[in-house]
Amino acid sequence: MLLGIDVGGTFTDAVVIKDGQVWASAKTPTTHGQLLRGIIMVIDKVLAGINQADVRRVALSTTIVTNALIEGEIDKVALLLLPGPGLNLEGLTPGEPHFLSGYTDHRGREKALPVKDEVSTVCRKIGGSKAAAVVGKFAVRNPAQERQVADWVQECLRPDHITVGAELSGSLNYLRRINSAYYNAAVWRIFTDFAAAIENAVAERGITAPVHILKADGGTLPLGAAQERPVEAIFTGPAASVLGIMALTNLTEPVISLDIGGTSTDIALWQNGVPLLATGGAVVNGYPTAVRSFWLSSVGIGGDSYVRRQGDKLLVGPMRRGPAMACGGPEPTVTDALRVAGMIEYGDQELARKAMLLVAAEGQTPDEAAGETLRAATHTVCKAVADMLSEQAARPVYKVEDIVHGTVFKPELVIGVGGAAKGLVPMVAQELSLPWQVPDGHMVANAIGAASSRPTTEITLRADSAEGYYTVPELGIKRPVDKQRFSLADAWAAAETHLAERAVAGGINETAPVSERIYEEEFNVIRGFTTIGKIMTCKLQLKPGVLVPVQAGRFGDE
Amino acid sequence: MNNKKLGLVFFPAFDWAITPSHPEREERLLYTRDQIVEEGLLDLPAIREYRPKLATIQDAQRVHIGVPDIASLITDAHLVSAGGAITAAEAVMRREVTNAFALVRPPGHHAMRVVHGTRGFCTINIEAIMVEYLRRHYGLNKIAIVDTDVHHGDGTQDIFYHDPDTLFISFHQDGRTLYPGTGAVAELGSPSALCSTVNIPLPPGTTDAGLHYVLDNLVLPVLEDFRPDIIINSAGQDNHYSDPLANMAITAQGYARLAEKLNADIAVLEGGYSIEEALPYVNTGIILAMAGLDYSRVVEPDIARCPRQSEDNTRYIAQLVGKWQEIWGERETLRREAIAQAGDFWQRRRSIYYDDSGIQERQSETVRICPHCLGYQTVSTQAEGHSFGVKSAFAAIIPRNSCNACRTQAQDALYKAKKENSHDHYFLQDKEMDVLQQI
Repeated sequence: MLLGIDVGGTFTDAVVIKDGQVWASAKTPTTHGQLLRGIIMVIDKVLAGINQADVRRVALSTTIVTNALIEGEIDKVALLLLPGPGLNLEGLTPGEPHFLSGYTDHRGREKALPVKDEVSTVCRKIGGSKAAAVVGKFAVRNPAQERQVADWVQECLRPDHITVGAELSGSLNYLRRINSAYYNAAVWRIFTDFAAAIENAVAERGITAPVHILKADGGTLPLGAAQERPVEAIFTGPAASVLGIMALTNLTEPVISLDIGGTSTDIALWQNGVPLLATGGAVVNGYPTAVRSFWLSSVGIGGDSYVRRQGDKLLVGPMRRGPAMACGGPEPTVTDALRVAGMIEYGDQELARKAMLLVAAEGQTPDEAAGETLRAATHTVCKAVADMLSEQAARPVYKVEDIVHGTVFKPELVIGVGGAAKGLVPMVAQELSLPWQVPDGHMVANAIGAASSRPTTEITLRADSAEGYYTVPELGIKRPVDKQRFSLADAWAAAETHLAERAVAGGINETAPVSERIYEEEFNVIRGFTTIGKIMTCKLQLKPGVLVPVQAGRFGDE
Repeated sequence: MNNKKLGLVFFPAFDWAITPSHPEREERLLYTRDQIVEEGLLDLPAIREYRPKLATIQDAQRVHIGVPDIASLITDAHLVSAGGAITAAEAVMRREVTNAFALVRPPGHHAMRVVHGTRGFCTINIEAIMVEYLRRHYGLNKIAIVDTDVHHGDGTQDIFYHDPDTLFISFHQDGRTLYPGTGAVAELGSPSALCSTVNIPLPPGTTDAGLHYVLDNLVLPVLEDFRPDIIINSAGQDNHYSDPLANMAITAQGYARLAEKLNADIAVLEGGYSIEEALPYVNTGIILAMAGLDYSRVVEPDIARCPRQSEDNTRYIAQLVGKWQEIWGERETLRREAIAQAGDFWQRRRSIYYDDSGIQERQSETVRICPHCLGYQTVSTQAEGHSFGVKSAFAAIIPRNSCNACRTQAQDALYKAKKENSHDHYFLQDKEMDVLQQI
């Protein structure tokens, strides 16, 4: 049995999946300020009548990190940077950066050494910080200086936690690694406390199964490994829904997915059965980070979106004034329009008609007002879809082949989940002239996604046989290679080994983990007229996805 | 307060090379990519990245006469690189950005009007294609091109040699010491366009100080006098002290300050072959300067290697600038005299070498000195190479805004040559109608 929990803005959902079927589901109000209480409540509710010992894994999608950031409940971080020459970072990072000497260049060669006295001076100045982040430019090409400075910081400052930039992300982009590392260190304590509490609570209930945390890229990590990289547990709600879609359907064609909630619709584009990832990573608190995340566009249209008429214009969203009038709310909403249009069956029909009358133009019937409301809502969603499609078409590529023969993303299906999906998805699909699908179980797709998501991790192996070494920044590894013989095949073989090592170290011991090559680059290094080596980059991941396809079963019509 | 927004077309053509070990190979912009991406420049709000569009054959033929045709001489990479320059220009024209940088390859400034093959790593002239695209689609007229590559931009000079509306300024390492050998002060343009070609051949070893002396005392004042609708920078980066193919001593700071002072609307990458020591830093510096951001921290790790400028060079540069200030001051008189001296037609004969293709071209050119328009032109060309064989062509060129007499005479000249049957191919390039016809 797989237990999945998704803490949302309004409700906390849980499901139990057995043999690919939703076995039980439960919903409780989210307990803001005391997340843990709501999570325990929903666990007790969903496991009523189920033998705890049968639970094989608990997976949790939680807002703990997101909330800590929104509410500013984050720690002060000592941010130590080795920027070398380049962009002036003053004012571009969160917190107050402290710039240190030391520089590693684009080939991973040390061009200037870090100075211990500088580090101890900075540590004296900022004494008292419990968390620190050390980030060096091009540390992904050679982690030595970053690690050296981290050791010095440990010695001088003795913080509870140090985040080292290249361990969070093996990709180029210093600015993003700085921002990732800063926020990782900033939420480390609150996440660690939360993890301990969850572990206790789960153990107290006699559940011995491992607890996994969902990440923004839709993979899970065992709680222990997640504590080293808590920033990745941001934005897991939308990721959970996306995973839910993956579990409930079996998509291979290019798809537009809509997760229509109370106040917003999250749009994702899918290719080859997986959603596209955000270029570079997620934006956290307005700062671009290297946190791997789905590429989602969020528009302010949902079931509870406030509908009103201003002059001769009908406006829908983005704000919410409460639930639908049909459900006892104060103001007209999209749900009221859906009720009047006969697209949903819950809520009071008469109250819904009253709501539509409030926004009707002169001479308009409630039915006509409902139609106009839904067209406006549909139009807003379709515009966001169109923007995403043109952004996708404009994504830069660096090869002639990709410009001349590159494929254009052409969606073939609209798929939707969430409260108002049944009503809005067909209308959006019609405007886009595409077929649509709302899978059974769509109301708890988020919790299904959390329950069934696979653990993932990834590594970047960059080999520079001319310099005679390879690095795996996520693991802090730099190893010599044979300058003459080391080939791309060798690089991939080494990458497989290191990925397996990383998985085991992180507590991922799936029976048959499937690795997937996500990036490959190979260049000849030529000096004079002689090839003196190759520069190769291999990115390998444990393939994200679902442990089992899921059937909604008797909970499908909820 | 920064009110700039830079459009960046970055296209390193990671799957294209002239030959595997050629300086124009896949690896050229690898380390530049590393630096730009690592700096996080593409995430800054002051920078917007664009994907290059593909230029068309018609875009290329607005400038070039390919023998036997341009399509058979180029690869897709050339159309992407020219398209990248056009994409950059259009982003500026549509006011999506304040200025733009096409950081693309392959380069183009050695490609001349007539093309038989590849020379100086260039097959089609990406700036010239962009310039004529802007004239055709955006109605621009006066355009200034400042070529800051270490090699003389002989292709661009050739294309605009008879065009008084295109000011071509090139500073470069003196042609007596470097490929392609041209670019002397005396190459001023044909009579009707005299002094719209400004060559500033600098001595080997010129540093930031010398370069900025030339910029402050000559290039910027000349640009101010010319009052162009738009300024384009042919942004070669091989004046860098570490460049393996040249002998100058410019730094990343020197280039960044140049970009800031020049304030070009559009910059297009040309050469630059110190792919590890220079390009990552020079490009970062230029991008930051063009985006109005602080570039003061972009300093090469091996800056101590950069030589100082000799006193001889400082003196020589001051004299050269002084000489040019004189010429520029008298440009109208000089133009009148040249026109009077030329009579009805101005002619020249040249030998042009295609180093990458191993072709020797002999070309003779005539320009009608027309009181009403830019004057029609004819070109007779014959090229020979080892495996290439011999190819010849005759072309007549009708300029934009041409008078009726020039239109008719150009066609007559072409049909006369065709009748004489002395060439393999005959072309009419009609810039008025925007067509290149093979007759």
